[in-house]
Amino acid sequence: MVNLNKNITRSILIASYILIIVIIISGISSLFAYLNTGADRSSMLHTKLEKIEQYIPEVTWAPLNNEGRPMDELILNKIENDYLDAWYVKHVAYKTNTTLGIKDYYTDNARNNIFAFIALNSKEKVTVESTTLNHHPTLEFFSEDGQLAVITDKDVIEYKRVFKDGKLILETKEKSTYKIIFLLEDGFWRIRHFVKEKSENFKTEPNLRVAKHLNIKGINYYPQATPWDMFGDAFLKSTIFNDFKIIKNSGLNSIRVFVQYDDFGKADIDKEKLEKLRLTLDAAEENGLKVVITLFDFYGDYSVLNWTLNMHHAKTIISGLKDHKAIIAWDIKNEPNLDFDSRGKVNVISWLDNMIDLVKSIDPNHAVTIGWSNVQSASILKDKVDFISFHYYESLDNLDTSIKKLKKQTSNKPIVMGEFGISSYKGFWKPLGGSDIKQAKYHEKVQKIIVENDLQFISWTLYDFVNIPKEVVGSLPWRKNIQKKYGFIDGNGTKKVAFKYISGQ
Amino acid sequence: MQNKHTYISLLVLVLLSSFTLIQNSEVTPNFTLETSQTEFEAGSTIELKFSTSRETAPLLYCSSSYGSTLIVPTYNSKILIYKIPISISSKIGVVNWKLIYEDSLISGKFRIRPKKEVSSMETYIGPPSIQAGGTDYTMLVVIPTDSFDNPFPENTLVLAKHQFLNSEKNEEIFTKNLISYKNIYSQKESGRILVSSECLGTNSKEFSVTVFPAIPIDFKISATRTHGYADGNQITTFSTSIIVDKHNNIVSDATYVTFFLTNEKGNVLKTSGATINGVATSKMIHPDYETQWSVKAYVDGIAESELIILRYKQVIKDFDVLFLEKNRDITVGPLQSFMKQIIPDGLQVKLLIYKNKTLFKTETKTSFEGLVNFNLKRDIYKNDNYTIVVKTAGLEKTFNSKTLW
Repeated sequence: MVNLNKNITRSILIASYILIIVIIISGISSLFAYLNTGADRSSMLHTKLEKIEQYIPEVTWAPLNNEGRPMDELILNKIENDYLDAWYVKHVAYKTNTTLGIKDYYTDNARNNIFAFIALNSKEKVTVESTTLNHHPTLEFFSEDGQLAVITDKDVIEYKRVFKDGKLILETKEKSTYKIIFLLEDGFWRIRHFVKEKSENFKTEPNLRVAKHLNIKGINYYPQATPWDMFGDAFLKSTIFNDFKIIKNSGLNSIRVFVQYDDFGKADIDKEKLEKLRLTLDAAEENGLKVVITLFDFYGDYSVLNWTLNMHHAKTIISGLKDHKAIIAWDIKNEPNLDFDSRGKVNVISWLDNMIDLVKSIDPNHAVTIGWSNVQSASILKDKVDFISFHYYESLDNLDTSIKKLKKQTSNKPIVMGEFGISSYKGFWKPLGGSDIKQAKYHEKVQKIIVENDLQFISWTLYDFVNIPKEVVGSLPWRKNIQKKYGFIDGNGTKKVAFKYISGQ
Repeated sequence: MQNKHTYISLLVLVLLSSFTLIQNSEVTPNFTLETSQTEFEAGSTIELKFSTSRETAPLLYCSSSYGSTLIVPTYNSKILIYKIPISISSKIGVVNWKLIYEDSLISGKFRIRPKKEVSSMETYIGPPSIQAGGTDYTMLVVIPTDSFDNPFPENTLVLAKHQFLNSEKNEEIFTKNLISYKNIYSQKESGRILVSSECLGTNSKEFSVTVFPAIPIDFKISATRTHGYADGNQITTFSTSIIVDKHNNIVSDATYVTFFLTNEKGNVLKTSGATINGVATSKMIHPDYETQWSVKAYVDGIAESELIILRYKQVIKDFDVLFLEKNRDITVGPLQSFMKQIIPDGLQVKLLIYKNKTLFKTETKTSFEGLVNFNLKRDIYKNDNYTIVVKTAGLEKTFNSKTLW
């Protein structure tokens, strides 16, 4: 007995000894590993400077025809960069009433004018959020010694929001012409004189497209294996092609897909993703389907200073795809009204308003809409969108009334119900929940309402999903599991009962 | 009867609607701009006055060249007065404003002109040095500004004045795109151009631009020496003629000239100098044997001289070699120059020692008081037969089978 106890003690001692050694060694090694992280030696010399785009309004130079010395591309680029930076630091300065960065882009005398404004506005508690959207500079003059340049910047579109005591007082868009003298100082093209020559209020016409011809009978589409990550590494055109075939054969004529802002590279568009989107459009065209592309998915920052980045993003995508035959419409943003509380209704709406103008200016042919998350919001900006679009996940009992009301408000513009559906989930998290039969009944009923009200529709969604990223509905299992079962086709590829009503035929 | 009712109800409706219209117009007060002036001078007091029917104080949004702000009015007997702050009223350009009252916006704009007096002549001139000859030029850029640092409008007269040698010019230029500029060309002569400008009676300070001579053209060279003998001691001085550009301007001081000296063996010696007042000089020690130098000078890649030829005569006709101390002590000399004088110290004498027809060792010494003494050490030169060759001043003497013991 004593012996046994001794052995136990011994083995415990040895085991604990080994354990302590293991802990110490792993501790030391992780300390070493930690000390080796962070800046690697090559970065000490700052040999690689990465330029981060933070302000990219559209700049269109007039052909060079200046007086003085001939200009070359390199210097012109440098002037353009410094000029845009000068605008950017000025926007930041007036937004925060601080002088950060002003010194780099304005000469001694010129910066005093900005400092005076900052002093005045701080005293009056006025702040200005602003950005410029378009510039049309002309190089007027470049001095023989290459130290002085004069440009005229025509039709600068400026957007401003003026606050007093933190309260929004005025929102304004102006079109102005400036004359600017630059001096090359310390390697910066600094602004020496800045004169506003012309200014007027800027208003874009609604510029509506005919949307009467639209007859969307569609479905929101994500591949079954990769919902919300359609253009990732697992992208396969054949999968999408086959799915589109199923959709077409079911009697539908359209799909709605999503372009995620971050996923597509923000302002600097990922060419590969854009190519995958194009392949998707090709697959749709080959199957005779039309596509509604929803932009800015998962984008939630509407701040004025980021407008130019957002616009650049949209511009790159739209100008790349606008001539594709499969495109039927652009959906500016998915459910922007959900951001009203967190980002401010004015911020969101003015952002949308501006984005509609941009999209319409780039693509003159296709209709534009906004995918509101409920009927109540659907009349916002009704005069600017070409057709109304809303999502509906509430009780079907009120749908008919809501639509009739909306039709009145929107003077009978075409209305598309851009998302609707019901989960067939029944299980631990929702024991009294749905079933395939209930889902089928729901779709039968919806289609009836759609026909009665002459609606167009894009239902949610083709497949039941297995994995849903937490960005979509959060990570709570009772929300996630329900979200998985909205499809017309289940996880095994079998058509659910509701499939019969997928196209209302 | 039916119709009558309809008419009455219609009439009532019309009355009601007109009534509500009147109501509305009373709710929204009228603002009328009383200030008719739309152009102001920079720095003047600018006030926008609005007459209004009711006492309210809407804010006025105001945006100028450099920024935007909101202005709070003062109210005085049905007149709203908006005093434009100095940061707006002192800078030229268009100022647009909006009166913000609920949803109704009244907007307008006015323009601020610079003061009619020039306070400083902002002048930029460059490049600061140009080349003579009438093709190169410098550019004078003048931005006349008022006391609030505002540039002047288009077509303001500026006088560009410049003086060079005997010419004084006074040219009229006009501002365009906020600046005025004038190209000032060089003339044939080098020198210095003085530049100034004037606008509305205000003069700038003086600026100067250096006109450097253009690139040199081909030139001549000469050599001076104390005698024509190859004594390895005296120095020959080379100098250029006065180097000028094509307009006869003496090239800038310190123009670098290189002299290339090629001797009969094809070896090249190089010496160089920088010009002062157009002349570069450079020196080279005489050779110590009879030869001929072909000399040519260059301003690298730009200009060259003519070729000159210098001949150096042999100074030492012959010399004695004396073997002493078991042939181990060898004395060369006396070495005598052209007048039989002892040659100045430092003439190189070479002793080449051959053993079995292969070079065994070379000893080199320089002369002192006309003599050179070699001592062949026993440790190095074992007792044997050697062939000894003595070389100096281009001469050579051979002694076969000298036995050292």
